[in-house]
Amino acid sequence: MSPTSSRRTVLGAGVAGVLAAAGAAGQAHAGSTTESTTGTVPARRPGQRSMVDVPFQQYGTVRIGLIGLGNRGAGMLSGWAAVPGAVVTAVCDIRADRAKAAADKLVQLGKPRPTEYGGSATAYQKLVRSGDVDLVYIATPWEFHYEQGKAALLGGKHVGVELPIATELAQLWDLVDTSERTRRHLWLMENCSYGRNELAMLKMAHEGLFGEITNGHGGYLHDLRELLFSDTYYTDAWRRKWHTRSTASFYAMHGLAPIAAAMDINRGDRMTTLRATATAPRGLADYRERNIPRTHSSWNETYINGDLVTCLIETSKGRVIRAEHDVSSPRPYSRINSLAGSRGIFEDYVPVGTTGGRVYLEPDHGGHSWQDFAPYRQEFDHWLWKKIGDDAANNGGHGGMDYVLQWRIVQQMRAGLVPDIDVYDSAVWCSPVPLSVESLKREGRPVEVPDFTRGRWSELRLGLDSRETDMPPVG
Amino acid sequence: MLKLLAKVCAVAVLAAGLTAAPAAAAGEVEVGISQVDLAGPVISTVKVTVKNNSAQRLSKLAVSFRGPVGWTVSPEVRTVKEAVKPGGSAVVDFQIRVPEPRPGFTIRTFTATATYAGGQAVGTSSQRSGTPLPNLAAAFNNVGVTDESNPAPGDFDGDGNSFSAQRLAAAGVTPGATVTALGATLTWPNVQPGTKDNAAGGGQTIEFTGQGQRLVLLGSGSSLSAVGTVTIWYADGTSSTGSVGFPNWSFQDAGTHGATLAISTPGRNTPAGYANAEYQYRVFANSVPLDPAKKVELVTLPSTGSLHVFALATA
Repeated sequence: MSPTSSRRTVLGAGVAGVLAAAGAAGQAHAGSTTESTTGTVPARRPGQRSMVDVPFQQYGTVRIGLIGLGNRGAGMLSGWAAVPGAVVTAVCDIRADRAKAAADKLVQLGKPRPTEYGGSATAYQKLVRSGDVDLVYIATPWEFHYEQGKAALLGGKHVGVELPIATELAQLWDLVDTSERTRRHLWLMENCSYGRNELAMLKMAHEGLFGEITNGHGGYLHDLRELLFSDTYYTDAWRRKWHTRSTASFYAMHGLAPIAAAMDINRGDRMTTLRATATAPRGLADYRERNIPRTHSSWNETYINGDLVTCLIETSKGRVIRAEHDVSSPRPYSRINSLAGSRGIFEDYVPVGTTGGRVYLEPDHGGHSWQDFAPYRQEFDHWLWKKIGDDAANNGGHGGMDYVLQWRIVQQMRAGLVPDIDVYDSAVWCSPVPLSVESLKREGRPVEVPDFTRGRWSELRLGLDSRETDMPPVG
Repeated sequence: MLKLLAKVCAVAVLAAGLTAAPAAAAGEVEVGISQVDLAGPVISTVKVTVKNNSAQRLSKLAVSFRGPVGWTVSPEVRTVKEAVKPGGSAVVDFQIRVPEPRPGFTIRTFTATATYAGGQAVGTSSQRSGTPLPNLAAAFNNVGVTDESNPAPGDFDGDGNSFSAQRLAAAGVTPGATVTALGATLTWPNVQPGTKDNAAGGGQTIEFTGQGQRLVLLGSGSSLSAVGTVTIWYADGTSSTGSVGFPNWSFQDAGTHGATLAISTPGRNTPAGYANAEYQYRVFANSVPLDPAKKVELVTLPSTGSLHVFALATA
């Protein structure tokens, strides 16, 4: 255990550990070509029912409690407060001064002062039991997500959790089961699924412009080295410490989820196996050598997570997804966002045009020449962006997709809609975290991806490609 | 439920065993498809009806259904356990993911296939949404010809260049003139120079009445890859497709993409005036085959923006 071990370290160290599902009493998949038991589906408890296609009850006002007010949580505060029909009623951070600062900010924005919770690692337990909170938003370090998400469900709240919702397979199953037992939704706050390019790509896929989808690539390629070694950005350097514990695809969901959506994962197709590769861990140590003083606490650390962890995921329809994670190498930012099929391809993060995307689609295009994505994004622009794109630009980070996500969540709760992203999507999108560990332990051999829907993956359902609806009027 | 039973094709397959019962003959099994809710995005439920008009029982029936490419259907196949008696029907449900409607005119085609002991029957249905353009002129979206005294409106190639009306006239091509190519008689756009006179491919669907061996297109390319697919919609609801292409108006062999030279003029109009007289700027003819037994009702132009169409005719 590292010299800086803490409660966080202990909680997080389990990522490579328990893989058997909680209460596993179910059956292994027949005909498996893998040696793992990761595909085991635990039996439901009596009375436990699916949350597939279950709408929210209608809320006149959505009362929101925030847990974790660091960079991400504090950054989302004003967006939540700006959504019509939403009110932030509670704020919580292990550091009480952060809760107070968040409350002060809301007052400055002309909003009611929320109840403050803080000063201890268990302060959140009071928030999740509070009677004036409908939705709990969790933006704490990864190692707290499962514990706090489950507690919020048990407190009768709907829960939006930043990436990932959990890091172990048993935890993912437990969140699925707890959601089903409590009849409350829990979902991944996957903002990039609401990106303008990603949603247009999704709608083009459903139109059939790519033909039969065969493959897609996504990931999270973000040079975080400077931030990882910052003494102030990630509290207690929590994110860097994950690189000392395990070799895993920690955070590929931003690129994986939009590709999974375009392939209708859990809505007509499902992920079946995952195999992982990892490069040697070089980036962080090299960066530290060149940039970090020898007196810095990081010099006690040994980085073991591969710089580039790649997951190849196969689906029941014979598609392949390549999901990459690299936050420790020098490179420009990319989530890759590439989708291809029998009639064409989309690629994002290319330096062309106004959208950063390019396409090649038969029969529109020929001559082996890429074409600008812009006219397609214009035609297939998602109704959410057409409706609230201007508000999003004024109220949210990450190009506005944060606010689009927040607005849509509140709208779904106020209108009593089925969530675009449910606990099953969230669990399968996060499953590469533990499954990459398991595959790497087996020298990259495929491991089964569990069916968190317990058989309902083949049902066609709307999700992110939703029908336009209005926000219910306020007051 | 609206049933679309018009397009049905049944194919009898020889039974493998000597003792097998006679199979239903061609045309004796009809496959019908209920109307699909196209007001997407929506998950639409579709009923496929297999009607047994033969004197034989229909056994080992399996039904598949598919929509336009890329539209997800669930399940992929449904099996019918009990044999369908003579005169009887079997109805099975499918779900299909219907995307948000595209603007303009669209035709969506659905196909259901019934496979049974000794044979197979196929049913198709086409559903239209929106209104097609009334004629090719309504699809004109580009100025390809200008007067040498006023070249400014021209933009055939995206760089502000255009054909010279004077040079075309010298070649006998004036507004409303007749051009003969590939056995077809085509009418040059009857519009004044400097106005929209050609349809740059955008997937436009236009009303077009005709019948013949082929559809001839008169046009030219503003790239080296002016190739696309033309879809022909017949009055009986069926369709056919064909690839068509034009060479670059100046820089490719006249036979590129299977085209035939129709008009050739020296020079072109540039934003600065008439120029490049040492080069030929050309219009070509190319064609796609038609089913000669059927009347053409609609034509969907290619979606290739660099493929410009001045006129259409059958031959």
